[in-house]
Amino acid sequence: MSARPGGRVRLSGIGLVSAAGEDTAGTLASFRAGRRDPGPVTLFETPLACPVFETGLPQGSAAEGSRTLRLARRALVEALAEAGLDPRRDLQGPRVGVCLGTTVASQLNDLPFYTAFRADGRAPMEAVDRFLKGNLAEQLARELGAEGPCATIANACSSGADAIGTAWSWIRSGACDLAVAGGADEMNLVPLCGFHSLGVVSPEPCAPFDRDRRGLNLGEGAGILILEREEAAARRDAVSGLFVAGYGGACDAHHLTAPRPDGSGLESAVREALREAGAEPSDIAFVNAHGTATRDNDRVEGQALARLFGPDVRVLSTKGYVGHTLGAAGALEAGFTALALREGWVPASAGFRTPDPEIPLVPVTDITRIEGRMALSTSLAFGGVNAALVLERAP
Amino acid sequence: MPEPSREEEIGQLCARLKELLISQLNIEGITPDRIQDDDALFGDGLGLDSLDAVEIVVLLQRNFGVEVKDMEKGREIFRTVRSLAEFVYEQQHAAP
Amino acid sequence: MGLVVPRGRGVDALGRALEEGWRAPASVEAQGLPGGQTPVYRVPAEAMVDPRALRAARRADRLTRMAVLAAWDAAAEGGLTAEGAGARVGVIFATALGPHATTFAFLDGILDYGQAGVSPTQFSHAVHNAAAAYIALALGIRGPALTFTQFHFGFHEAVRMAGAWLAGGRCEAVLVGAAEECGTVQASIAARRLAPPADGRIRPFAFGRPAGTVPGEGAAFFLLTPDGGASDAARIEVAFGAESAAGIDAETGLLILDAGGLSSEEAAYADAAQAGVPVASYAPVFGGTLGLSAFHASAAALTLRRERSFATPVPDHAPERALRVETGGRPVREAVCLRLDCAGRAAALRLRCSRGR
Repeated sequence: MSARPGGRVRLSGIGLVSAAGEDTAGTLASFRAGRRDPGPVTLFETPLACPVFETGLPQGSAAEGSRTLRLARRALVEALAEAGLDPRRDLQGPRVGVCLGTTVASQLNDLPFYTAFRADGRAPMEAVDRFLKGNLAEQLARELGAEGPCATIANACSSGADAIGTAWSWIRSGACDLAVAGGADEMNLVPLCGFHSLGVVSPEPCAPFDRDRRGLNLGEGAGILILEREEAAARRDAVSGLFVAGYGGACDAHHLTAPRPDGSGLESAVREALREAGAEPSDIAFVNAHGTATRDNDRVEGQALARLFGPDVRVLSTKGYVGHTLGAAGALEAGFTALALREGWVPASAGFRTPDPEIPLVPVTDITRIEGRMALSTSLAFGGVNAALVLERAP
Repeated sequence: MPEPSREEEIGQLCARLKELLISQLNIEGITPDRIQDDDALFGDGLGLDSLDAVEIVVLLQRNFGVEVKDMEKGREIFRTVRSLAEFVYEQQHAAP
Repeated sequence: MGLVVPRGRGVDALGRALEEGWRAPASVEAQGLPGGQTPVYRVPAEAMVDPRALRAARRADRLTRMAVLAAWDAAAEGGLTAEGAGARVGVIFATALGPHATTFAFLDGILDYGQAGVSPTQFSHAVHNAAAAYIALALGIRGPALTFTQFHFGFHEAVRMAGAWLAGGRCEAVLVGAAEECGTVQASIAARRLAPPADGRIRPFAFGRPAGTVPGEGAAFFLLTPDGGASDAARIEVAFGAESAAGIDAETGLLILDAGGLSSEEAAYADAAQAGVPVASYAPVFGGTLGLSAFHASAAALTLRRERSFATPVPDHAPERALRVETGGRPVREAVCLRLDCAGRAAALRLRCSRGR
């Protein structure tokens, strides 16, 4: 069966795991209460004193695979349940795709393995096997029996958004009818040390867009969305009124770790996403910004969003609730954005107190009602990657 | 043997720093003798960038055991090879 | 098309390697092994020197350098310049193992200097999309960029995505490629896991007999444009599923099998080898790498371009009924690279001559 290219892409299920909640209901409760609870790292030993956002996911057995994989599985269960799909029956075969973003799970960065290897070259090969069997999209596709398109996206901190965008493109181009899309990353020593060495980890709870922001807090989590070709979803009565309406990606071609100061890469990605959605900037009810709370990101992103949408645009960063979840961030935030459209409100942008004279916009400081039907989620990443997703709800 | 003077020590630090900067930051097409003590490290001088700045923090830590705690103060320290050398000297001779 | 392969950089280096056939691999140090050495098809350092293409890449590691040079050459061959790239050009990079040597160097930093003493440069370069970022930087690419990282069909998915971007009008051109490196840790793992043959010969037709492999590395990039563009270019299509390599003409077709002793489950290639279409595999030239599909696509493209077939460098164990090609002037109009994964899933890259003859 070959599908007609084009058409709308329905978002029929959302699964979210983060420090804000182990499902969408828990997440909304945290957002409503303005509750956030970062703490010291408990998952491994570290001398680095900085708050992080861990989930309550218990340690698992080796047979269950990496923590990243387990986070993704948990979010997947919720997303499938909401979409009314039975994983034993509805996800097999060549018309089902799997596209997931991650950063940590793509590397063989197992420190005990490497320590043993350095000692005498006779490292335990179990770590290698775990790595080879732990590719996020390949492993979940195997478990589901999905035989359609399959890709693990490693686009650094926009991996989750780009994975949703890639799955969206698959459905639009007729490569599959349904896709499991999103991202996952666990709290891990390597990025913690890495971001610390870059001088961008905050010693206190993060404050996106605030004048006195001191950097990011790492988080962990998974966001999984079920995307479906509209006709296919309609046939089985999936009635979610949410859509992924547009996706745009663009690179800065500027620097590996610093965003292009003029923000033109982000602007280009946003314009592309709007064009695909058939939307004008004025159609966008709010923007769930990348907002990592690093000096550079928030300045460049805030300025670009103000240019695109005007200084009065409603903006928030949910990283104040969940930290920077790296490969999961773009997917979690797309999920948060869709939930906010469905619920009709956005939470306060946690951590913000004082406007920054360099940033010509101010994020929402209270729970704010939303009237419009479209919203934007943005991601900026290492490698000068920018991604934008337009989410939409039915009238 | 007399203790080396402050100036002599800073001169030696400058020479060592130039070699370290070139090797650790992979600066291509330049030798230590072509870098002047007072050349700007960033911008129009050696053309270093923000990633080099944080790499220099690691370089100072690993090779001289000195910590740059405040990157804002770092701006002045990181201006030239000489300002880096002076910072290292002051840190190493600071009372414990 | 642009290439960095164990025998050097460029399409001509590949052409020479395919003409010459098998050559012994280099030996690299491998910790914890008797003898302390293991064979690897490694890209020589002198193949990765180019001040112009790498002018913004002083910090780049080996994997990134290979990828940038292959992409640079592919762009140059396709007439895409750093001035002309911009927002309508995209890049998609596929890598299974990524810049793992940099990841291990970063772990060295943790072990040697502690968690607070690691290198931010190594951290940021261990991210798998660093190569795509450097390609965009070298060529001024401002369109979309994706990095796919997986063990099966990563390059195939990259070609599929590029096709969607071109068909949907998102891009006027997409640089699609793959790169893999083999650092010392990887070489040691391979030595213990992939049983490198004592004589250094990869036997692609062993089809799951315990023949082992010699790990390899390199990069291959292709500049893809919409169909109907450059008239002398080959067409590339990607197909998935059991029938993906079906219907190849026995007279004018060539089936390239992505078999290279990387897995013990290559027996399924034996059936494909006996389907009545001439077969080949060039793993003995490229080395056993998870990027083999992309390298085979470059061999396929060269076969079409040079109007010349290339024999399998080490043809031992070929099934009796398999039709093996010899190196020479046999006309090939369609070259199909077939990849099977360990679960028996199939995908094929089909390259055809679009030139009228």
